[in-house]
Amino acid sequence: MGDSENPFGELLQDYVLECLPLAEQVADAFVELERRWREGDPADTLLTSLAGRLHTVKGNSAMMGLVPMRETAHALEDACALLRQQPECRNDEAASLLVAGGSLLVDLVRDASAELDPAPAARFVERVRQWLAAGGAPAADTQPERRRAERRGAEAPADPDKAANVVRVDFRRLDAMLEVLGEGLIQHAALAEAYRALAPRARAGPELARLDHAVVALEKTLKRLESTLMETRLLPISTVFARFARMVRDTAEAEGKRVRLVTAGGETPLDKAVLDRLSEPLLHLITNAIVHGIEGGEVRRQGGKPDEGSVRLEAAPQAGRVVIRVSDDGRGLNEQAIRKKAEALGQELRDGETVPLRNLIFLPGLSTAERVSTLAGRGVGLDVVAGAIHTLGGTIDVATAPGRGTAFTLSLPVTLAIVRSLIVEIDQERYALPLAHVAETVRAEPEAIREINHRGVAQWRGGLIHVADGGALLGTARGRPEPRRYYVVMSAGGKRRGLLVDRLVGHQDVVVKGLDAALGRPDVVSGTTILGDGRVACILDAVRILEGGRRAG
Amino acid sequence: MPHSFLVIDDSKLHHQMYRLIFGRGALAGSTVYYATNGREGYGLLAAHPELTMVLLDLNMPEMNGLEMLERRRAEAMHPHVPIVLVTTEGTAEDEARGRAAGAWEYLRKPFQPADVERLVLRALAEAAPTS
Amino acid sequence: MPADGAPPGEGLLGFAEAMDASPAETAPAPGPELHLLTFVLGREEFGIPVTQVREVIRVADITRVPHAPAHVRGVANLRGRILAVVALRSRLGLPAAEPTPRSRIVVVDLRGRVLGLLVDAVSQVTKVPEASVVAAPEDVRSAEADYVTGVARWQSRLIILLDLEKALAPTE
Repeated sequence: MGDSENPFGELLQDYVLECLPLAEQVADAFVELERRWREGDPADTLLTSLAGRLHTVKGNSAMMGLVPMRETAHALEDACALLRQQPECRNDEAASLLVAGGSLLVDLVRDASAELDPAPAARFVERVRQWLAAGGAPAADTQPERRRAERRGAEAPADPDKAANVVRVDFRRLDAMLEVLGEGLIQHAALAEAYRALAPRARAGPELARLDHAVVALEKTLKRLESTLMETRLLPISTVFARFARMVRDTAEAEGKRVRLVTAGGETPLDKAVLDRLSEPLLHLITNAIVHGIEGGEVRRQGGKPDEGSVRLEAAPQAGRVVIRVSDDGRGLNEQAIRKKAEALGQELRDGETVPLRNLIFLPGLSTAERVSTLAGRGVGLDVVAGAIHTLGGTIDVATAPGRGTAFTLSLPVTLAIVRSLIVEIDQERYALPLAHVAETVRAEPEAIREINHRGVAQWRGGLIHVADGGALLGTARGRPEPRRYYVVMSAGGKRRGLLVDRLVGHQDVVVKGLDAALGRPDVVSGTTILGDGRVACILDAVRILEGGRRAG
Repeated sequence: MPHSFLVIDDSKLHHQMYRLIFGRGALAGSTVYYATNGREGYGLLAAHPELTMVLLDLNMPEMNGLEMLERRRAEAMHPHVPIVLVTTEGTAEDEARGRAAGAWEYLRKPFQPADVERLVLRALAEAAPTS
Repeated sequence: MPADGAPPGEGLLGFAEAMDASPAETAPAPGPELHLLTFVLGREEFGIPVTQVREVIRVADITRVPHAPAHVRGVANLRGRILAVVALRSRLGLPAAEPTPRSRIVVVDLRGRVLGLLVDAVSQVTKVPEASVVAAPEDVRSAEADYVTGVARWQSRLIILLDLEKALAPTE
């Protein structure tokens, strides 16, 4: 009876979607149990409440013919049953067993396939069997060594090819579908453009009205297809969050600190492409919080805080985007040291004007500077984190209070693949500007832009903003025969800047395509797309352009 | 006569599985109602006396399978509709309690589509002489 | 070689056509042969293995990419795919030139990386005996750095063999 002949085999992806969050909650609960038991809290409710989830994972795995998962869940159920009856067995040893099993279960479910290696599950089941046979006491001889080996095994990153075995295949198909949809959108844009060109010249009549109607209806249909397809690509953010519970536990242990991770909003959906690239920057932020933000127990006691520090990881949908907050209740950033360091790096702090901290903390070389990292208690490469978030089309902000903690707030697009953009023309070339970073488009009156210190400056919403020439920025300006007619106010991360363009072509949902490595990494372009007329346009990277500061001004 | 079924299970995955089971072979064309907890399921049972069979999961939040069976017995709600209690590796004790609460049959995970089909045939056979 | 001003195919140099034409010229040669697509840059003829060539297309709209390396001509739409187009002249250190009606883009596939090479003209698919390949003369080697693997001397022609993977290694 081969597993591959399971009558429900085609539901493998549904299985992962349903069971992975459950397995992760179980694994997190085990980490939490370990913490509570160390504090002498028997945590009866927690131990009882995870039983249902474990049982569901077991039942689902059984139905799918996934033996290693079923056996692992079963062994964990048996262990939990014994621990419920015998509170005296709730020790570090038991907790390690549960944590290792939870970890294994998550890995197994995530990599679910019929060809799964059954050996790790078999080893774990055997370990539980011995532990049960000893009445909840460790099998003394091999235990410590085996435990270390098993922990290493559990924490080794899953083989990337195997990791998303099933899911990845499916997502490739989704990517292919997206490509086709993208072509459909491009063809529709071409059709609409042709119609607009034709309509003024054609004789009004029922045919023209029908054509108009068909063009509009087709757009609606394509939009529906797009949103359906986008929804299919979404996964709960808990698939990323789940990796951190164990990481926090181990990092804190290595630092000799006590830290708990609190997560919220794990059900928030996000495109898999975004999720895949989010885990690294979040890992940086959380590590920083543990290593540099949270104080040692002594210091915390003196400050009237609980011994145990907490790191919160929260996500929530917000107006078509996802907001993620990583916060700690540690010592906060040393703002003075950061400002001093920024001055040393040559950031002008003119006229006593207060530059917001967020404009400094993400500067390259600032948070990596050793002096600041010890003084300010913030570690490696926040500029790298910010860079990663920016390439995802996101923003990052920071707030801190001395002695109370630090919070990083990330705002990310739910999906990367299709971006609503403003199409502009500069020196006969067309470019796409993601609308997320467009604050306003303004007609550039001849007198409105003045030159101050060789940089264009205009009044905008009661203040002054710098206005750069698009051609100069993009390297296409040859002399300047005619003044440009518009400027686009771009905004990101609290920065604003105008960009002079020749023409505003219109709004379009553009399908983002990549850049070949042969193109190097052009710093003002984040990708390419195909417009309605079949021409390729570069997508401008507003965040980088805003960061570029005076260079191109 | 087309058959109709009620599936009460908090697992969306199981809904999908039943969709496969009732979507092919002899059972293709059946009407299937889905509920994710006992409360919801009970409402559907009350509304559909014509049901051929109910598949009721034991472990659910918000009124589990046993609780729903007990309420149904207390209110004598459509006692002619056979209810199959579905469990994962349930003990003989569980089974006895289920039957005592009025479960007509017992189905253990993992089961195959054929197991469900056999139960349906039996349910039809048992219902035939009385009608 | 196609007659001037009358390139074969409708915007796409059909390989079959080109290959049908070639046997007449490549008389049976003893020993193993190299199967090359040859093209012209300036006054020189270059060859690359046909196995690396996907197709040859006419030069359509090429969109400039701001701040890209100098040898990158831009990006073009290849049936919905974005194709990076490299000006092979400037990559090989030859003087730049604007495209002419005879210019073509050779679409190559280098182990999965699909790139377009802008060349002055495509000559043909040809077979040369491996024995005709000699090391590049000193003057060629200095001009085209280490992208040249050798020179084929065959039927009074001199074909410079290019190592595209080296010439088009990803830019950091």
